[in-house]
Amino acid sequence: MKKIWLTFVLVLFCIGCGTQNENLAKGKELIKSDKRRKEERAVREFKLALQQPTDNAEAYYLLGLYNSQEFYEPNTPDWETASIAERGKQMFLAYQGEKGKYLERLVFETLRDDDLDIQNAALDALKRVYEQGDRKRLLSQLQKAIKSSDNRDRHNAHWVLGHLGKDDPRTIVPILVKLLEHGRTETRLNAVKALGEVGSEDAIPALAALIESGSAKWARDREEPEVRQLAVEALGKIGGAAVPELVKIVENKGSSLRVDAIRALAVLGDEKVVEPLLDALKEQSSRDVAIPLN
Amino acid sequence: MLEKITRVDKSRYLMFIVSLFVLIVGLGCENQYYDERLQMRLQQLDSDLKDRWSTSGVVILETTPNGPADKAQLETGELISYVIAEYPIRSTGDFNSTLKKGLDEDNNLILYLKDKPPLRIALRRRGDKVGLSVEGNGTVRVKQIQPGTPAANADIQVGDLVEKIVDERKIYSLDDYKKTVSKLSKQQVTFRTTELIGVKIAAVSALGELGDTRAIEPLIDIFRNSTELSLRKSSISSLQRLVELSVLNDLFQQFQRANVNQLPADSLQAQQMESAAILGLLTVDRAENTATLKAPFGTQFRHRSEALYQKINEGQLAELAQEYIQITVEPEQEIRRACLAILGILKPVSAINPLVAVLENPAEIPGIRFQAGVALRQIGEPAVDALISAFESEDTSTKDIAASALGGIGGIKARDRLIKALETTSEPAIQLTLVDAIAKIGDAPSIQALQRQRQQYQGDDDSGIRIFLDEVFKNLTQESM
Repeated sequence: MKKIWLTFVLVLFCIGCGTQNENLAKGKELIKSDKRRKEERAVREFKLALQQPTDNAEAYYLLGLYNSQEFYEPNTPDWETASIAERGKQMFLAYQGEKGKYLERLVFETLRDDDLDIQNAALDALKRVYEQGDRKRLLSQLQKAIKSSDNRDRHNAHWVLGHLGKDDPRTIVPILVKLLEHGRTETRLNAVKALGEVGSEDAIPALAALIESGSAKWARDREEPEVRQLAVEALGKIGGAAVPELVKIVENKGSSLRVDAIRALAVLGDEKVVEPLLDALKEQSSRDVAIPLN
Repeated sequence: MLEKITRVDKSRYLMFIVSLFVLIVGLGCENQYYDERLQMRLQQLDSDLKDRWSTSGVVILETTPNGPADKAQLETGELISYVIAEYPIRSTGDFNSTLKKGLDEDNNLILYLKDKPPLRIALRRRGDKVGLSVEGNGTVRVKQIQPGTPAANADIQVGDLVEKIVDERKIYSLDDYKKTVSKLSKQQVTFRTTELIGVKIAAVSALGELGDTRAIEPLIDIFRNSTELSLRKSSISSLQRLVELSVLNDLFQQFQRANVNQLPADSLQAQQMESAAILGLLTVDRAENTATLKAPFGTQFRHRSEALYQKINEGQLAELAQEYIQITVEPEQEIRRACLAILGILKPVSAINPLVAVLENPAEIPGIRFQAGVALRQIGEPAVDALISAFESEDTSTKDIAASALGGIGGIKARDRLIKALETTSEPAIQLTLVDAIAKIGDAPSIQALQRQRQQYQGDDDSGIRIFLDEVFKNLTQESM
């Protein structure tokens, strides 16, 4: 009986060896090589690998990563499946195969790629994760990234959060607002930028408070100048209900951000700002004023 | 007993709460201060303003009507950067006590000697000696200068007459202000205010972008009257921008009438498209054949464009620009250029003579003379006579610029004059300009005239004019293809 079991296990093992995805291995080998048009040939292998029963997650991921419309004649079916959205979908399918592994990879590796198309495909994949996958886990990974000590991760996380927030400000804005209290200046900086990109008016009070902290008595209560400056820019991107806040800054004669606020308002073109600007022009030139103190 | 303890605790607790509240409120107001004596409210500058604009001081938020500050005509928004006290020196005692007082805090004061420029005296360390002693009563003179002291290194001689000492205190914070003013309480002082030029420049350029008529007069006022060159420069370029925007009025009207932010690009004139593209207000997708008003600015501006157009065309700006294109009026070339650009867009006939004067002015830099020619070309037909008479000038540059402007304008009169000139001149530089100008007109008589020239230089292989003519014909045939 024991023998039978042993044989069975051995047979299973051999089947396992035999069905290891050869095309996938071949494709990966090609990528490592310095052969001509290696990516294009590797992509062909990854496509074949998908027709086999094993290791599909990795094949999907690598296909999304390396495919490119440059390989094909425009408007052919192959060309269509190499679009950013399709590549994002392939990366998402990889995620569906192995959730934990590919979520981390997308956030901390794929987004770091120099290739803009790859970044956009990863963004697309993450949007799909947000819609159809484990949203909670995605958000916790993105928050981990925006708090990271690595500038690239922080930047990428702000970028993704900014995009997710455009579609779902209700969830994303509170997360970003909470990040404004984080200890790392660069994290707050990226949170502010993301709030600008989201462009939701819900962020206005938090940004306004941050800007006003510049005149706080104690240095520890004051936000860094560069973060406050970006907060003004973010208000400019939000526009609409942020205009009165910006006008308030222009009218605050002690504010260091008047110039930034004026610049933001110029782009918005709102008629309401003309009067405050004309008032600023009326301010006195440098002069000496005699004052009797006795 | 137990009850007593809890009661005590309660009142303590209350006191704690109250004092905490007072503390919080106190802290909250800490960046503002009401000066009881001068009756004005002051505000601390943001901490980083100092780093960004290298300015410091306290800002006046409001002055109480008829209070001392108001009577001294201090205004809301002014930034007090220095408090300056002046001490006339009439005795040795005056001198010694003032010196001591002045150097007490910031080790820095200004000494005025008769017939000499003011001397700034700064000590490196507290307690260091200035190294100067004086004598006299009524008139005070320098008695002795100690070697190795600040006084010995300055331009001071024994016998110099000491007039006054000025103590100039830089104000960094509200605390500085309070301290300084209370120290000088029995004194006539001067507040030196600093204009936040950066803010004004930003406001000026924003007003140019906003395209609102209300900005025109204040901008003209700053341009004419400000003593800050950077501010004048930005006002004129904002005015130029407003003039450019006003030209787009009819285009904006089209958007307005259709009440959309997109129009078929075909419905726009080529020139509209061109200026819109330069201004960056429209994004034109040729493939989609749509012109899209660039939001948010463009969409907001279209409602204001008509008013701006009317205001700009009242003539005030043309007059201003005509005045400031003259080198004798405006030494800054950047401003003269902006004014020329304004005239090129507004095309006032009244500007023809002033423009010709710039074109002909040998003291003007060549680029600006050329730009005057461009403005005349933009004015077009009405400028032809003036340009023809400028062309009669002996000066090569004048001839050159006038000819190329005439070529740009075209028309029978300009063309015939140019052709006649080409047939009579032998000066190579002028010939080239004339060929270029005539080719620009490009009608049948022009081409024939150029062909006649070409034949005349048939055998001359090295002739610059022949090579140039060949080039011109090559371009002409390419264009017709």
